[in-house]
Amino acid sequence: MSAPGTPPPREPRVILEEGEAPPPRSAAPAPRDRETPPAPRLDFGWERAVAQGSAARPRPAGGWSSLGLLGAGAAVLVLGLSALEAANFVAAQFARATWLGVLTLGVAGAGYGLIGAALWREARGLAALRSVDRARAAFARGDHATARAEALRWAAEVPAAQSVLPALRAANDPDSLRAILEAGPLAALEAQAQALGRAAALQAFAVTAISPSAGFDALVFASRGVRLVRQVAALHGLRPGLAGTLALLRRTLLDAATVAATDVAVDTAARALLTNPLLEKIAGEAAAGAVAARRMLRLARAASEACRIVPRR
Amino acid sequence: MPAPDPLGFLSDALAGAEEAARALLGQERVRLAVTGLSRAGKTVFLTSLVANLLAAGAGLSTLPALEAAAAGRLRRVRLLPAGVEAVPRFDPEAHLAALAADPPRWPARTEDLSTLALTLELDRRSWLGSVFGARRVTLELLDYPGEWLLDLPMLRQSYAEWSAATLARLRRGARAAAFGPFLAFVDALPAAAPAEDALSRRGFALYREGLRAARDTHGLRLLQPGRFLNPGPRGEAPLMWFFPLPHPEGGGLAELCARRYAAYLADQRSVFLEPFFRRFGRQAVLVDVLAALHQGEEAFDDTAAALAEITAALRYGGSLLDRLTGQGVRRVAFVATKADHVPERQRAALTALLEDLVQAPRERALAAGAETGVHALAAIRCTEDDTAIVDGRPVEAVRGVLLESGRVARVYPGEVPPRRPGPEFWRHGRRFAMPDFQPPRLDPHGAAGVPHLGLDTLLAWLIGDLL
Ligand SMILES: Nc1nc2c(ncn2[C@@H]2O[C@H](COP(=O)(O)OP(=O)(O)OP(=O)(O)O)[C@@H](O)[C@H]2O)c(=O)[nH]1
Ligand SMILES: [Mg+2]
Repeated sequence: MSAPGTPPPREPRVILEEGEAPPPRSAAPAPRDRETPPAPRLDFGWERAVAQGSAARPRPAGGWSSLGLLGAGAAVLVLGLSALEAANFVAAQFARATWLGVLTLGVAGAGYGLIGAALWREARGLAALRSVDRARAAFARGDHATARAEALRWAAEVPAAQSVLPALRAANDPDSLRAILEAGPLAALEAQAQALGRAAALQAFAVTAISPSAGFDALVFASRGVRLVRQVAALHGLRPGLAGTLALLRRTLLDAATVAATDVAVDTAARALLTNPLLEKIAGEAAAGAVAARRMLRLARAASEACRIVPRR
Repeated sequence: MPAPDPLGFLSDALAGAEEAARALLGQERVRLAVTGLSRAGKTVFLTSLVANLLAAGAGLSTLPALEAAAAGRLRRVRLLPAGVEAVPRFDPEAHLAALAADPPRWPARTEDLSTLALTLELDRRSWLGSVFGARRVTLELLDYPGEWLLDLPMLRQSYAEWSAATLARLRRGARAAAFGPFLAFVDALPAAAPAEDALSRRGFALYREGLRAARDTHGLRLLQPGRFLNPGPRGEAPLMWFFPLPHPEGGGLAELCARRYAAYLADQRSVFLEPFFRRFGRQAVLVDVLAALHQGEEAFDDTAAALAEITAALRYGGSLLDRLTGQGVRRVAFVATKADHVPERQRAALTALLEDLVQAPRERALAAGAETGVHALAAIRCTEDDTAIVDGRPVEAVRGVLLESGRVARVYPGEVPPRRPGPEFWRHGRRFAMPDFQPPRLDPHGAAGVPHLGLDTLLAWLIGDLL
């Protein structure tokens, strides 16, 4: 605050350093002084200031949305109450006759065991997807420790990547990790995904060429597409369950934008596929088939993109 | 109230449904309308916004308040890949490179529209994330010449109404001097002047001279039509050869001017106003409050009037139809830009003065059910606080490197009053222009963002609830 009593001077002005005070109207530059070199730009040390906070970035605590709570509650009720009911029933059967009790126990055990196995598989599928997400995020951040740990875990599970395990262990920066993965296993996986895509594309083409209705086409395309996505995921070491497949499909479809950029590759593949003389002969009548085939190829590409543990640059 | 427009209603309903579906999928898209008169700092604001958001997405703490609002869930920020847009793309890299160059250059006056969209990827709040994937919030941005905004209020006026209102304004205050030759010309025209191109072009040229003088020598803002001052990439076209007439209802020249007025507005509406300002969810109204204050009483009031006219013409939603279709603006931030022109202690006064200046627009937004806030910010901080001796007394000032001479200077910006000052304040009548400063040392690629003041608080307030 300025001294009490006297109001502060009202008129704005520019005061050049080195003492000389030009008249207040001097928004215009002062005559350039040849002797004094231009002053260095201000430096707020911004790069350092913003880099500090980034190391210890709090990860969000995974909370539960109300939808999740609802689902979990319903599952507990259904499974828990039915389990209690089943236990009561088994006890009653034992009271009736031991062999009946044993039989009922066996049936109940088998049923719950299957449900448990399904849940386990879902959980594993989701965990694998999450681990891919973590790896991608780590690569994007340039966080070497996490990226390396995730890459090693991934390579141990994927047959195509076994051979690069030692090289991965020896890599000591994210860029070389990325280079090893991209040159070796990822290139191989991409090629295999393309092969799967071509097989699916041929089938889609054939089905569309002979199918009776457009609705049927769509159905076949959708089921073949889902299978293709799961096959590609399996190549990448993901064995998605139901939820995992949903997640993958969503991601694959939403990432279609990134694939549009790589459409050139899809186009060449489609051309190679469709210049098969036999196909060419019927392609005239089956333009829809060509479209379906091309879509299948693109789907393979997008799926492979969605499963990569290294994000594209 | 304008007549209900069935096509508009349909497109709103579609847009509303799309928005709802996107929100369900966690793929929101929100348009941030950055409005501001010319030189308010829109281009610099957008450049800093993009650079700092991209840096924050790469894990740097350039926007701490925004990150806090997102509770650390911000995972990545990307520029949305270009599609098949017909509108040029806003180029933050080029602006940053020019600002970082030696000698630095600020962006030139914007002469065309350009757009850009950013995608913020966020972790979901719950484990559902592993099923549905990351949430994405797409932020759509637009840069344009500030002058064009003043065409918005014209859309609601007929040529006769516009002529009468404009001529009445031209005869008052500093405008009377700036538009002297033009006023003499139109007052000498007979009521039944013929539709001669020589006449219309002469009138247009004189009117445009007046607009330029009013802007450049008097610091006035409420100057219409916008393309007369900033013709944009298509340059001057015959549809611009009109001007206000004292007898706007007659035939001949008056009729020709009225036809061109309508054609001009139709053109501006279809290329600029309708596609970009019909629908938006958030708005930042940028105002260079200090410049308005320094340019004198009339310029200050003119800035307030221009902002009031613009906001009165914008669509904030709030009507029954808008509620039905889910349209409307949620948050409007009024922002005093270039806050680095005053020392820290005066920034509160700067905000208060802005609050006073935008009272009318603010009430309008509030009435439509939007939340409003008032902020002060420097998109690129160019000064540090210091003290100077003025009239033998120490005062708080800002210190920076002048753009033109490259020399260090302290600038005492005067005492900023917390509300519109009375006649006492303007008495000395001398106008002052804040010098342009050099931006601080910057990384030419802007990978670490740019130093700013208060950008994070503003963004946290504007879009924090979406994160
Ligand atoms: N010190 C300082 N100056 C600024 C800042 N932002 C803008 N300026 C100055 O204000 C001038 C105008 O900024 P622009 O962003 O180009 O203004 P605009 O609103 O895009 O103007 P038009 O394109 O003409 O509509 C710049 O050339 C800078 O000199 C800031 O944050 N700090
Ligand atoms: Mg601009």
